[in-house]
Amino acid sequence: MAELTLKQLVKQYQPNLPKAVDQVDLAVRDGEFIALLGPSGCGKSTSLRMIAGLESVTSGDILIGKKVVNNVHPKDRGVGLAFENYALYPPLTVRDNLAFNLKAHGVSAEETGKRVKEISKYLHIEDLLELKPAALSSGQKQRVNIARALIRRPAVLLLDEPLSHLDAALRVQMRTEIKRLHTEQRFTTVIVTHDQLEAMALADRIAVLNDGKLQQFDTPLEVFNHPANEFVAGFLGEPPMNIFTVERSANGSLVSPGTEFALPITDHVDRLLGHRSKVKFGIRPWGVKVRPENTPQSVPGTVSVVENLGDETRVGIRYNDLLLMSSIPATKRYQPGSRVHLTFNDEDLNLFDLESGERLIAA
Amino acid sequence: MASVEVQGLTKWYGKRRGVEDVSFTVHDKEFLAIFGPAGAGKTTTLNLISGTVTPNQGSVRIGGKSIDGLEPAERNVAMVFESYALYPQLSVFENMAFPLKSPKFKVPEAEVKQRVMRVAQVMKIDHLLDRKIQALSNGQRQRTALGRALVRNPQVFLLDEPLSHLDAKLRHLMRAELKEMRQQLGTTTIYVTHDYLEAMSLGDRIVILSDGRVQQIGTPDEVYFRPANTAVARLFGDPEINLVEASVQKSAGDRLTLQMFGEKGTMPVPREIIDGLRASAQPKLLVGFRPADVELRTAGNGQTDYTGVVYSFEPLGTKSIVTLDGVDGTRVRALVDGRNLYEPDRRIQFALRPERLIFFDPETKQFLGREEKVGTGVE
Repeated sequence: MAELTLKQLVKQYQPNLPKAVDQVDLAVRDGEFIALLGPSGCGKSTSLRMIAGLESVTSGDILIGKKVVNNVHPKDRGVGLAFENYALYPPLTVRDNLAFNLKAHGVSAEETGKRVKEISKYLHIEDLLELKPAALSSGQKQRVNIARALIRRPAVLLLDEPLSHLDAALRVQMRTEIKRLHTEQRFTTVIVTHDQLEAMALADRIAVLNDGKLQQFDTPLEVFNHPANEFVAGFLGEPPMNIFTVERSANGSLVSPGTEFALPITDHVDRLLGHRSKVKFGIRPWGVKVRPENTPQSVPGTVSVVENLGDETRVGIRYNDLLLMSSIPATKRYQPGSRVHLTFNDEDLNLFDLESGERLIAA
Repeated sequence: MASVEVQGLTKWYGKRRGVEDVSFTVHDKEFLAIFGPAGAGKTTTLNLISGTVTPNQGSVRIGGKSIDGLEPAERNVAMVFESYALYPQLSVFENMAFPLKSPKFKVPEAEVKQRVMRVAQVMKIDHLLDRKIQALSNGQRQRTALGRALVRNPQVFLLDEPLSHLDAKLRHLMRAELKEMRQQLGTTTIYVTHDYLEAMSLGDRIVILSDGRVQQIGTPDEVYFRPANTAVARLFGDPEINLVEASVQKSAGDRLTLQMFGEKGTMPVPREIIDGLRASAQPKLLVGFRPADVELRTAGNGQTDYTGVVYSFEPLGTKSIVTLDGVDGTRVRALVDGRNLYEPDRRIQFALRPERLIFFDPETKQFLGREEKVGTGVE
């Protein structure tokens, strides 16, 4: 396996169109698993297709190992690609599907047999080798598909939304298997996904893209807990982060104008605010602590909706257009109409610049 | 008074079963969720109630009166589909007023205005009434479509997956908003969904369908904490519930010693289950426990029950999924605090919260019992 480097990578389909991929820099270490994550149209699939050689590069460089591969033919790049739709050959057995690519490249029958054995052991498909694709479950097809991408011993494994067509339970199961496979084999891997849970669960680092631009490239927990900007904060996490505009009031609180939302400004928040009088306030539902009695630092509110979800309860507190959602352990304590008091820990709070969307960091 | 009584509804599409012998009652002002996987017969059930599909057998009564044989338009039910079919060239007001303009209703202009305003306020779209549909966000379109169904003041509201086309994050918010609205409206509602969170959040009760048959009818707590069978248990919760077979080694009073994961553990088990096992020569139980009920300990403290090896670690932000292999290779999923890291192949101790175990019959997969009283109505 090898490292993969993108340098100032740009894709522009037509001169008058916005860039599909805009100056993306990424350095993927040997053996690392990274996710390209973003909404549809963010440039993640275009990036993957450029790495695979299925799409030309407008400017910038793609390096596999130390070699620039911009003009190398796709089959000579040393990339293995597994798409969402499997495209296994229906008349061939799993064994022949796996061997097909090697034969085409003139690998000897003996060597082919050895590799089929080896890869089917890694992917736990040894018992499926004599079956035709039609006899496989979708999870099994997925594993055969990945095996086929890996059998040529690529320098980089590329996975394009490999789980998106599976039902929820199977997706969770396959996610675990892919993660385990990577733990054992350490293939340099790039996965494209729009599913933030998939990216978080699988990747060593996540590259979040929006409008063709790289927003943040870091470990899952870092991206989740310390998002670079409002976009990343809103894209990761389910239920989503509460994000709304607040103003600094004359008496030293952050207020949502026209509502009773008023949070006394702590030293920490004061440092974050600097000279700003108006910012976006971001708090994940788990960071909104609900209590029945007030404290000097609490924000009053009225419960307008309670969702009992088994082991978890979500409580919605309404401030005009804003429905502030809190996620708390299962409790029957609150009802619509209950008066409550909300507290937030400094470390759970995010403030974003109103113009740039950047998360504010204490100077 | 607009209760809905569904009795023995059966619909075959050739040899394929749509629904078979589906019966339930929706009380006046109740919000009933019909939940199940794709192909379970949810939409068929709704169509049989709305009258767009005719049953082979069975009957539907609304407010005590049979509506069998009535045309859909004569049933006084309002249906909202997944695709909301608004008129893009009309304003929000015109879309909402549209059903009232039909010659069948002949509602005076002043009353049309009043009704649209009232519903628009509940839906929080009263500031958008002059906007064209194209200018609305997804969430606003959703509210307009719901509002259009509501202005008719139907006896029964039928909703078919109204949130399913929204992206996952917006769905959480819209679900909460929908729940907020229904509190203010109080119209009898039947709501079809394949999303267990929607069914639990919105439904006063849930009808669970699978393969065209009713699996269970109950409150969200009943179906979550006391599922009728393993199929129901697996439909609620993400990641899915763990189901592990245990052989009964010994019973002493109201406690059983169970062999699970290749190790022995003694725990309280409901009396009626213990009594039921006496007849069996090699008694076994199927034990269900949700990933959140698995407790991981990095160091054994003498009280932990089982030993596992970490198979895979998946951080999800606030929580993480840890997949473990027990001593005998049984795979277990745990949902743990996202701040802790668990390296693959690391040996670890894990414990189950015994009061939260759900016991099933290993043969029939039917619910046998649970120590905790949650979901029984007497907790």
